[in-house]
Amino acid sequence: MKGKMTRRTFLKTAGALTAAVAFPVSRVEVALGQKPGEKFTFAYISDSHITQIKGTEFVRNFDNGLKKAVVEVNFMDPKPDFLIFGGDLAQLGKKEEFEHGLEMLKDITVPIKWVIGEHDYYLDLGKYWQEKMAPLYYSFDHKGVHFVVLNSILTDDDWTHKRWPTPEERMLQMARLDNPNGSPFMVKEDQRAWLKKDLAKIKQESPLVVLSHSPLYKIFKPWNFWTDDAEQVQAILNPFKNVKILHGHVHQVLYNQIGNLTFNAFMATSWPWPYVTTYSQLPNKMPALTVPMNRADPFKERDGTGWGHIELPAGIAHHYELWENPARVVQKTPGMKQPEDTQYQFPGKRISPQKHY
Amino acid sequence: MRIGGKSMRRIQVVLLFLLVGTLVTYLWAAETPLGLPPVPIPSDNPQTPEKIALGKRLFEDKRFSADGTVSCATCHDPQKAFADGLPTSEGIKKLKGTRNAPTVINATYYDSQFWDGRRPSLEEQSKDPLINPIEHGLPSHAPLLEIIRKDGSYPSQFQSVFGVAPQQITIDHVAKAIASFERTVVSGDSPFDRYLYGGDKTALSESAIRGLEIYRTKGRCQDCHAIGQTNATFTDNKFHNLGVGFKRLGSRAVQIANAFRKAKQEGKDIDKAVLGDQEASELGRFVVTLRPSDIGAFKTPTLRNIVVTAPYMHDGSIQTLEEMIELYNKGGESNPFLDSGIRPLNLTDQEKADLLAFMKSLTSPQFANVVQSTRKE
Amino acid sequence: MRKYLSLCFVLGLLICGMGLFIAYADPFTEADLKKWNEAFMAAVKEGDSLFHSSKLGKNSVSCDMCHPHASNAHPETYPKFQKQIGKVVGLREMINWCIQNPLEGTPLAADDPKMVALEAYITYERRGVKLEPGKH
Repeated sequence: MKGKMTRRTFLKTAGALTAAVAFPVSRVEVALGQKPGEKFTFAYISDSHITQIKGTEFVRNFDNGLKKAVVEVNFMDPKPDFLIFGGDLAQLGKKEEFEHGLEMLKDITVPIKWVIGEHDYYLDLGKYWQEKMAPLYYSFDHKGVHFVVLNSILTDDDWTHKRWPTPEERMLQMARLDNPNGSPFMVKEDQRAWLKKDLAKIKQESPLVVLSHSPLYKIFKPWNFWTDDAEQVQAILNPFKNVKILHGHVHQVLYNQIGNLTFNAFMATSWPWPYVTTYSQLPNKMPALTVPMNRADPFKERDGTGWGHIELPAGIAHHYELWENPARVVQKTPGMKQPEDTQYQFPGKRISPQKHY
Repeated sequence: MRIGGKSMRRIQVVLLFLLVGTLVTYLWAAETPLGLPPVPIPSDNPQTPEKIALGKRLFEDKRFSADGTVSCATCHDPQKAFADGLPTSEGIKKLKGTRNAPTVINATYYDSQFWDGRRPSLEEQSKDPLINPIEHGLPSHAPLLEIIRKDGSYPSQFQSVFGVAPQQITIDHVAKAIASFERTVVSGDSPFDRYLYGGDKTALSESAIRGLEIYRTKGRCQDCHAIGQTNATFTDNKFHNLGVGFKRLGSRAVQIANAFRKAKQEGKDIDKAVLGDQEASELGRFVVTLRPSDIGAFKTPTLRNIVVTAPYMHDGSIQTLEEMIELYNKGGESNPFLDSGIRPLNLTDQEKADLLAFMKSLTSPQFANVVQSTRKE
Repeated sequence: MRKYLSLCFVLGLLICGMGLFIAYADPFTEADLKKWNEAFMAAVKEGDSLFHSSKLGKNSVSCDMCHPHASNAHPETYPKFQKQIGKVVGLREMINWCIQNPLEGTPLAADDPKMVALEAYITYERRGVKLEPGKH
């Protein structure tokens, strides 16, 4: 038996060496001094929007989404290294909503990393969040990957502090996605300065993941699928060769590549937002790359919602767990120029529910 | 290339079969009952009268069981609307299983067979119960094929239908014949069909007409138990968790599912597991897909002839249609994997009565007199 | 000659009469158009407000949560076979379906001004898109 194993191991090594010589991808990686780090997986749950109707009555639909995600994350075998919560745990930033959400999340058996969303922030400007969840922005390292969490949903001081008579009114205004009285999201100068400083000690070849709630690029300003100072943030990130930007807020399958930067959107557990192309009155910058998720059937309240798990670090493999639908994988392996859906990327492979909007 | 006389004759026989098959299929299609779509016929198993007759004979043959007491018709009794009126079926030696026998009537319209869709066709489904230890209990298909080969008339029937000599008869020939017979077990032309597709506005009572409207709106039945514009199969061919029987898994659901997943990856037989092990049975569609969102999900059955195919659900735990309506009205049985189309309905008593009246209108005339003898478990 | 003149006179009167009639058939002015458009936009405004309120249902969900700017509502495809209802329906039946289902509310009467307002808003946000009745 031992003899057999040695032969097999020898063959395996020989095969790997042959592959390394045959495939230029590995040579490029080695040339860049980029060591493929240890592969790991984390899960995410995002945009749960727990909504209080009154007292202890919460919107059943959104509670169900979060509960379902928690059960399924716990079902993962092997376990993910940690869970990212992508923002918007509460709908109107209320203590009751946070507590109800945290109660459902307490069954998660791995550490949780928190990203704040606008629905969490605009009632008390992040007070509860900082006390109970996490700082508004911070960074951490995991198995050779540097993670940065940004608070990308800030807006101008006037709108934040002066415009609205009460915090509740401000929160209601921010809660409406298509609000004509809204204000664009921004990372702002202080955070950008902090980001620059935080990244100063990171090598350009090191894998870098940036987490934010809103997308750090410009898709559609009327719905705040937008960051006003996106170009400035991207300029800080561009020198790095292996950057993945993961965000929530859009409640849909969405991915893009801008220069060195790979963008991937988290699914929401609560409800789907339509694609920006479905609003005919204004122009938009929908990424052409994205293969849309299947058009949802509103009869099934979980259609268009879900969670996911992501494998890093050399490339990125994003497993979308789409309830009431087959799962999808969007990946960018080393050597690929941009992320692609493993099944539907080529136009000839699309199916009707993805085209018929 | 010259075609020899023998080959020529063979070609002619084949052409004749094809012609007869096409004709028969055409006639069958032309006779599709009111309210049903055409029966889907696979290209490798065309219908012929002889094949159908052979299939019926095989379906009713009790010798294809370990103790000579069980045939397909035992659990799918033509006198009982092709079901057996039991909560869960009983095989050889009255061994009890975990699942309620679905009716064969209109089963041809399902995209997959069994409550968890683990077999893709009628042909594939027919082979499993024969070798399940608590159904027909045969150790393999070999004893069955021996019986066929040694029988007085089976060999000539197989020769005539499939053109095979006795030693060439395989279980797939048997399966094809049985499936062919099952494809004739279809029924439409119910009062509902005559009302909606036959233009007879007097075919339904006022109550049933209101019931149809509730079915499409407040009752939320339409999306899974689909009624089409020109025909109705009453199924979406998908799998949904209503929470029925979930309490057998309870808080250990994830544990049980994980253990099953490992066992399946190591080669465990699904068919034997789901019928022999109560907990495995409750996993539902999960046993096929291994997706956690499929835990406790079962195939949407047709509602045709629902009045005469009690008891209901995969475990036969619902005795009456009134109980069924109550289950849906309260939003199913709460559990982490509950289908997202299920929610409390808040139906009034009148609305429940109307829905019931509608469901009673789905019985085809040839099954209207089936006597229900539901036994409580 | 007199008969001929009388005939001309009568014909002349008739033509003048018709002319007057034609001139006043639907004599709307720019001011009318403005007035009627304001009435319509008031309905659009009311529909906008209802669409974004959480008052149509009982669970505080509002239409704009799945349809910001009334997007993805496809008013131009109605009437059509609506899968969720199992028959051919018009836009207002689907509006009522949404009120009853995701919003867990009570359906509006077909002639309720609120229903007209909702239809006004939803179609207004989709103005200019060509009609495609029956499209899924």
